[in-house]
Amino acid sequence: MSVNTVKVAGRELALSNLEKDLYPSYGFTKARVLEYYGRIAPVLLPHLRDRALTLKRYPDGADAEYFFEKRCPAGRPAWLKTAEIPYGSKKKLTACLVNDLQTLLWVENLASLELHVPLARAATPGKPDSVVFDLDPGDGAGLRDCVKVALMLKGLFDGMKLFSCVKTSGKKGLHVFVPLNTAADFGKTKAFSKAVAGVLQKSYPALVTAQMAKELRKGRVFINWSQNDAAKTMVAVYSLRAGPVPTVSFPLAWKELQGLNGPAAPAELQVTPAEAVARAQGDLFRDLLVKKQELPYL
Amino acid sequence: MPATIWIGNIHFGTISVPVKLHTAVSQDRVEFHLLHKTDRVRLRQQMICALEKTPIPAEEQVKGFRLEERKYVLIAPADLEQAEPEGGREIAVHEFVAAGEIDPVYRERTYFLEPGEAPAGYAALAAALWEMKAEGICTWVMRKRAYLGALASGGKTLRLGVLRYADEVIPAGSLGLEDFSLSEKELEIGAQLIDRLSVPFQPGKYADEHQGKLRRLLERKARGEKISLLQPRQLRHTEGGKLLAALEASLKAAK
Amino acid sequence: MRTKKKEGTAEAGKAVSPEKAAATGLWSGTVSFSLVAIPVRLVKAVEPGRVSFHLLHNKDYSPVKRAMFCPGEGAAVPPEEIVRGYELEPGKHLMVTDEELESVAPERSRTIEIAEFIDLREVDPLYFDHPYYLVPLKGGEKSYRLLAEALRRTNKAGLAKFVLGEREYLVTVRSKDGALALSTLHYSAELLADAQYAPGKAADEKEKNAVKKCVKEMLGGFTPGKYSDVRRKKLLALLKKKAGGAQVQAPELEGEPAEGVADLVAALEESMSRMKGAR
Repeated sequence: MSVNTVKVAGRELALSNLEKDLYPSYGFTKARVLEYYGRIAPVLLPHLRDRALTLKRYPDGADAEYFFEKRCPAGRPAWLKTAEIPYGSKKKLTACLVNDLQTLLWVENLASLELHVPLARAATPGKPDSVVFDLDPGDGAGLRDCVKVALMLKGLFDGMKLFSCVKTSGKKGLHVFVPLNTAADFGKTKAFSKAVAGVLQKSYPALVTAQMAKELRKGRVFINWSQNDAAKTMVAVYSLRAGPVPTVSFPLAWKELQGLNGPAAPAELQVTPAEAVARAQGDLFRDLLVKKQELPYL
Repeated sequence: MPATIWIGNIHFGTISVPVKLHTAVSQDRVEFHLLHKTDRVRLRQQMICALEKTPIPAEEQVKGFRLEERKYVLIAPADLEQAEPEGGREIAVHEFVAAGEIDPVYRERTYFLEPGEAPAGYAALAAALWEMKAEGICTWVMRKRAYLGALASGGKTLRLGVLRYADEVIPAGSLGLEDFSLSEKELEIGAQLIDRLSVPFQPGKYADEHQGKLRRLLERKARGEKISLLQPRQLRHTEGGKLLAALEASLKAAK
Repeated sequence: MRTKKKEGTAEAGKAVSPEKAAATGLWSGTVSFSLVAIPVRLVKAVEPGRVSFHLLHNKDYSPVKRAMFCPGEGAAVPPEEIVRGYELEPGKHLMVTDEELESVAPERSRTIEIAEFIDLREVDPLYFDHPYYLVPLKGGEKSYRLLAEALRRTNKAGLAKFVLGEREYLVTVRSKDGALALSTLHYSAELLADAQYAPGKAADEKEKNAVKKCVKEMLGGFTPGKYSDVRRKKLLALLKKKAGGAQVQAPELEGEPAEGVADLVAALEESMSRMKGAR
């Protein structure tokens, strides 16, 4: 196994197996994964900061076995920041906090292609900073249908004077966020998202479902409101997604969204354009972290 | 003789032939157990309650249909009975089709049919279907499920193949394949190449060599030999622009 | 977004089958014939229309899930602690890693190498095991198209072997509506003899001709759409009816969503109707 030692912010990191192809059907080595995360770090890190990371590791590449790891892996360097988070009803576990570039690269050296984080920070695990609507197309539905639903959500939130933003899941879905950054709890955000999903389902039964049952959601978009939960994580904005092609969960301006009409993942979700767009426009998701809003009627 | 799976009666027109279903395939493969890495204890599959984390016996399990997260409607055995198709012993043939007409994607498993009690007509049916190269599209209910099938002949013996329902087959159109224009020359060489590499289908030629290799690896390992790890072979993909050249070189090599 | 594999499922890491690989899009590799190599991914071609139920514990309605359970420890075992073992003698196992398994046939684990082509009509339907599609990956679209179109023109199918997990599969690759369809085949050694079921007496000529006449009258074309699964239809109707009725709720460790959202729902419905009106 080849090992390269690099120095990042005064910390020595041993990066191994850099030539390993982590997206073998496309051709994207571990070196390239590290390079991507290094380049995207300025916009990505604020979204990971102080949140308990769930690693999704693909040691043999994106088309082989993977596993989730909530626990910060053993063998971590002493300088790596961690947090004790509740696990199950009684136990606790130690999770990684990715607050700096050296931690991000250390995590990526473990081939955690995808980065998943909770909606709350580790210090306040019951207090989400945002509400999320995870739009998941059922069989026979596609990104185009998700776009329709996302625009409906935006219309609804606009009517309530709530700012919202959207990113691609990096796969077939979309994630719509309403930033809060005020004292909310998951009980409230879940009730809100469930009510919104219910109303949309009632108004557009042929397009939207709030029901998880696969058999009852053919051709429709499932608004997964249950992601608003302390025990759940969402794929972080700018995270890579595992698949045949390296795609990115990427933020979009609302007006860009209407252009997304293709049947599958559009080209702009891929790595190289993502790097360039992020460099040119900065963090389109910055408002998610700073905009202060309150949920009405709750 | 393998055990009888089911007994029924083929029926169409004025013809009625009693038959017994037998399995047509038997597979013998190296089997692995799953072990606990830490103590090498063999693991057993158990039904575990998500809340209590303990194994739950079958009598404490109920069926539910999930409507949304954590919300279920309970489905009682009586509910399922309501949905049961009308039982019976009849394999009803609705129509006959030419053997080549059924796309292989519809074919699931096949049963061999043994003549049942009073087998008059079995031999005649087997011979007629064989000579006509026809298959009978039929339906029957077996173990509370409704099946679609194809009745065919292997010469002297009848067979009943289970067919998938049309809505279980994913249409190729849904794969979202792009059309790509090809030159007539590329196509012609491609077709020539295929013709040149064509052989009659002789299934006996192909054996599962892998099982033997796997057994030898296990024997070596059992003797304590070190197994050298080999990387899977990866081929360099043919780029679109070099396709014609690759085809021409292939044709030359195939001569 | 649904994940391919839920956290903690016991089968993770073990017992890879083409069905699983196709359902998750996990297998990708190369299909090759002669000097042409096409990058492809294996995807499913059929989806059982079965209605899926969940098993619940009758005490608390928590889901009951299949897990690998260690009788020694009295607990379910996480996937990273599961290894394959080959039983040498009762109770004595040899541990085998994925890498060792892949080393058995490294030339076939990522490559479907078509060495011969056959006429699919020569294949007895008995041989067909399970169908899949292959879809092209980036850069392979043109050669994929070529193979599909050349197979269609020649009415031939490619024959190849490839290895997935613990097994080697004999497969055919053919053209179907512009796509490449792959079917796994049974080995001839796996097929049982049907001669044992043949009736002792030969067919009676007169009887045979009577059958032929009857078959001829009933000859038609295969239109699978005509037949549907009666049971599934009935089940779905039942579920639609029951979905509006009594429900049970599984417990949750975290706090329940707050009640009293009537105002919110009213406000949402009002904005919704304003939106609809604005169109």
